[in-house]
Amino acid sequence: MRIVYTDVLVVGGGLAGLRAAVGARRRGHDVIILSLVPPKRSHSAAAQGGMQASLGNTAKGEGDNEDIHFEDTVRGSDWGCDQQVARLFTHTAPKAVRELAAWGVPWNRVEAGTREVVMDGRRVSLSERPEAHGLIAARDFGGTKKWRTCYVSDGTGHAMLYAVSDRTVAEGIPVHERMEAIALIHDGTRCHGAVVRNLVSGELSAYVARATCIATGGFGRIYRVSSNAVINEGMGAAIALETGAAMLGNMEAVQFHPTTIFPAGILVTEGCRGDGGLLRDAAGHRFMPDYEPEKKELASRDVVSRRMEEHIRAGKGVKTRFGDHLWLDITLLGAAHIDGRLREVKEICQHFLGIDPSRDLIPVRPAQHYSMGGIRTDAQGHARGLRGLFACGEAACWDLHGFNRLGGNSVAETVVAGMIVGESMADFVESASGDLQVSTGLVRDFVEAEQARLDALLQGKGSENAGELMRRMQDIMTDKVGIFRNGELLSAAVEELQALLVRSRQIGITTRRPGANPELVTAYRVQKMLKLALCVAWGALQRTESRGAHYREDFPRRDDAQWLKRTLATWGDAFQTLPTLTYEPLDVASMELPPGWRGYGARDAIEHPLTAGRVSEIAAIRQAFGHADRFTVQQALMAYEHLVPERFRGRNARLEEAS
Amino acid sequence: MSDPRILTLRVLRSSPSEGLAPHWEDFRVEEAEGMTLFIALNEVRETLAPSLQFDFVCRAGICGSCGMLINGRPGLACRALTRDLGPVITLAPLPVFELIGDLSVNTGKWMRGTAERLQTWIHAQAEPDLTALEAPMEPALAEAIYELDRCIECGCCVAGCGTLRMREDFVGAVGLNKIARFRLDPRDTRTDEDLYALIGDDTGVFGCMSLLACHDVCPKGLPLQTQIAFLRRKMARTGL
Amino acid sequence: MASSLEQSPVVSPVAGEPVRNAALSRPRSRLAASRWPARLDLLQSLSGLLLALFLIAHMFFVSSILISPQAFHTVARFFEGAAFLAEPRPWIVSCVVGVVMALFILHAWLALRKFPASFRQYRIFVEHREQLRHSDTGLWWIQLWTGFALFFLASVHLFGMLTQPALIGPYESADRIWTGNMWPIYLLLLFAVEIHGSIGLYRLALKWGWLQGADPLAARRRLRIARTCFSLFFLGLGLVTLLAYVQLGIAHADRAGERYVPHKAGAKLARQSPAGGLEFALSRRPGE
Repeated sequence: MRIVYTDVLVVGGGLAGLRAAVGARRRGHDVIILSLVPPKRSHSAAAQGGMQASLGNTAKGEGDNEDIHFEDTVRGSDWGCDQQVARLFTHTAPKAVRELAAWGVPWNRVEAGTREVVMDGRRVSLSERPEAHGLIAARDFGGTKKWRTCYVSDGTGHAMLYAVSDRTVAEGIPVHERMEAIALIHDGTRCHGAVVRNLVSGELSAYVARATCIATGGFGRIYRVSSNAVINEGMGAAIALETGAAMLGNMEAVQFHPTTIFPAGILVTEGCRGDGGLLRDAAGHRFMPDYEPEKKELASRDVVSRRMEEHIRAGKGVKTRFGDHLWLDITLLGAAHIDGRLREVKEICQHFLGIDPSRDLIPVRPAQHYSMGGIRTDAQGHARGLRGLFACGEAACWDLHGFNRLGGNSVAETVVAGMIVGESMADFVESASGDLQVSTGLVRDFVEAEQARLDALLQGKGSENAGELMRRMQDIMTDKVGIFRNGELLSAAVEELQALLVRSRQIGITTRRPGANPELVTAYRVQKMLKLALCVAWGALQRTESRGAHYREDFPRRDDAQWLKRTLATWGDAFQTLPTLTYEPLDVASMELPPGWRGYGARDAIEHPLTAGRVSEIAAIRQAFGHADRFTVQQALMAYEHLVPERFRGRNARLEEAS
Repeated sequence: MSDPRILTLRVLRSSPSEGLAPHWEDFRVEEAEGMTLFIALNEVRETLAPSLQFDFVCRAGICGSCGMLINGRPGLACRALTRDLGPVITLAPLPVFELIGDLSVNTGKWMRGTAERLQTWIHAQAEPDLTALEAPMEPALAEAIYELDRCIECGCCVAGCGTLRMREDFVGAVGLNKIARFRLDPRDTRTDEDLYALIGDDTGVFGCMSLLACHDVCPKGLPLQTQIAFLRRKMARTGL
Repeated sequence: MASSLEQSPVVSPVAGEPVRNAALSRPRSRLAASRWPARLDLLQSLSGLLLALFLIAHMFFVSSILISPQAFHTVARFFEGAAFLAEPRPWIVSCVVGVVMALFILHAWLALRKFPASFRQYRIFVEHREQLRHSDTGLWWIQLWTGFALFFLASVHLFGMLTQPALIGPYESADRIWTGNMWPIYLLLLFAVEIHGSIGLYRLALKWGWLQGADPLAARRRLRIARTCFSLFFLGLGLVTLLAYVQLGIAHADRAGERYVPHKAGAKLARQSPAGGLEFALSRRPGE
């Protein structure tokens, strides 16, 4: 049995994992990154439109700051997020952008002077301040009051991933590629590392670490139609769930992106609409203003996706033999803009649709895009229920996004959470609780148990086909646990998924070789993915309200009185077929921004009994502080600065605040 | 509508770990509308050859995982539409890179080696002050840097390079493009002398024989032809 | 490029702690890097360029036979210094040939570095070229083989010119080509050198980014057209010129070895043919 020892083990080589690794390494600790694929192939590269950070450099971003970013984020989350985490995040995001700038990300920059832009379907001219010339620019994104999304054309995630990945090379951090963590080694309270399978040789080894960080991204591939990469199968969340100790938060909160090309489900960025693109129906009519007069195409993603599906249900979609779709119209932006700022979109349209988006409409329909849920952590990224386990990025439920995340906040979350978790892992490793106290006997037990599971698949006589189970699961999720949910569909989904889970214990495979074996990989992953799917479907069935991306036709109102709480799923017994759900209430009395109307979408929420009290309390505090600066008032409303790692304290400079 | 075509995917299969030498194997699949090699290969794996190895990640032409020789030319399989190809499609793994099996090669190891060799990161003199305003940069310069930063390390230029195939220590277009990218970036304080130390020999820019297949097969349309020529001029001047 | 231990640690202004970070130190290898690779690369291109320019001039000089033997005689004597010296000095030609030969050897030596160094490399390239079916990759292969052929063909020619500079003249050259049985070598040499030269110039432009304009791909298309025109023109001119020497050689075969003397030759030519130059060459058929 091969055992590799390290201070910090990071599972996942996307932006979050890489940045966390750099943080821990810079504090002097040995770090090893495990990745299914070369890190630069991670799905972070597919983030196109940009990253939110309140720099306030552009004319339409002037006056922006952490407060506004915070409010947008909380409203976007439909009050499902952890507001202290949202504060921590909005405070650190400008630092993340500036750090990335220093590391080489070629952010688009402000050009002083007047230029033409498209807003609300019309050409208007915008004038940029001369003193902002050359500072980092921002574009408009959905659900925001200011233009806040910093971008690199529409290859933002790519540019960021390459800069951070190259930084890990600079730091000399080893990345063990094509290695998959298939189980966490733990004693019920403390995580000691992971059992890792080499995807080329099939060999199992144990990585024993003082701190283990899961940064494996989302689990979109439990759906049939998803913008996610094929590796986004949620294995990190699944192995955490299988410990029985760690818990997954808000798994039913699944985001559907409004504009993925039809029918392939490949993402075209929200930047298309942010830059002035419109949604049209079969008749060429721009329908979003009819539903959402305030934010139109730029309401939050959950709202736009729902309105699109609603419009399709009303028979206004374009009918094809693959189903119905709507149009995304960016022709009004002009070829020059598309060639410069939306070139990935252009390439995707050319290669997959054979069209030129500067002349033709793009067929789009919402598809699964993001998992707000994941491994529940505290604000430092430490997993609940298992000391020594950390999580960051999409794999985590940190909980920045609540029930809907804003476009541009996830790629920002990856690096910001990476910065914070890197520090907190270093703190942990340096503390007494980070000491390694693990017997190799325990390690051996875990490795042998995993080997036995694989051998059972390889040599067993099961008759179930793993690919078949996978397809069935994906169909169920897309058809029954999609944008519009109801009790009937969800019950059916839960029932069918349970049956699939039972069947998955009888998988048989034809390729018996122990090494590189795609069939074997599908087999052990589908067993885990079914558990995640059940967390989503069962959590969605239990949550009898509509909040953010979770929409119940039979319970269409947001119910703060009953449901202002986070779902926590655990899987204590390997043979249970449903997760155990518990709930973690959100404390209205300590919220900086108590629940209310989001500024778009429905207005009929059922109020929490404490909301009114908190609202007047906040008004009183604001009054008491009179003309005090915004930092002082904020501190009085909801202190969060103790959560900020020392390295990232200090106020963010801005043009107007500097002068 | 006429009957869909029956496509033959002729795949160069191998399994070095099992000592299985490369051999061609044919798979027949029925063509579907808008079918890409990503779809076709997955269908083969699901229905005909569960052990078939290949690498896809984003399946959208963004991540660079699925480079392979499609009818002899390096390209991204995920965005190769079968309707643009004949009824018999040969697929082989990219050369140069370590073969993992079938169509899967280890580009990650090679690219990491290149990053370490060429030190493809910003070499700055000091840590940035994260609370201060960022240093300004000309908008046009930022866009020019991004132009070169678009490389997805898919390995197509490496596999298309006759020089590199003969001489495996040649740095290749991917590496030269990265040097051009960092040379352009004012945040990187390395001088031409420093860069000359990295690529100023026959394993670097002077080894390039201007065969230009790199430029012609690059899926991202990077300006490799002009960038390599540009670097050659700069490095020649530096070395003179 | 390991960073040196002598470098003082860079202090992080953020946390005030030393950053043990290789990324912040600069590669200290400027002393180690040899300047010769740059020089050799430049020399290879420069020698090639000079040889190509020489080739163009040479082609025009020798094709003066198409005007008349007298014209060629004048050109040949010019290079022996007839214009400045009291009498022609063939050693001057030897010197010119010597310089060209030196360039040629230098170019060949430098180009050799790019040849496949083993059978394995050779086989890999052949396989690669066949698989890729890529025009510029194929061009290099042609250049490789024409270059290889030139090692021998050009050497023979250059050696002859070096050792017998005086024997450059209408009859002398024609006799060498026909009676001396050199025409097959010259024919092969013509194809090898013109193809090698035109591809070389084309690749030189691409290699150093000359004439690339705003749209490099369009520039490459233009360069390709220019290359083809160059090849066709000089091959055509060369063939016609060679034919002229062959004709003259056949006509002069019975008096092979006789040196060309301007006034005498003029009389004889007038007797043999009313036409001179190109018409002369084209109007005659071998064996006439």
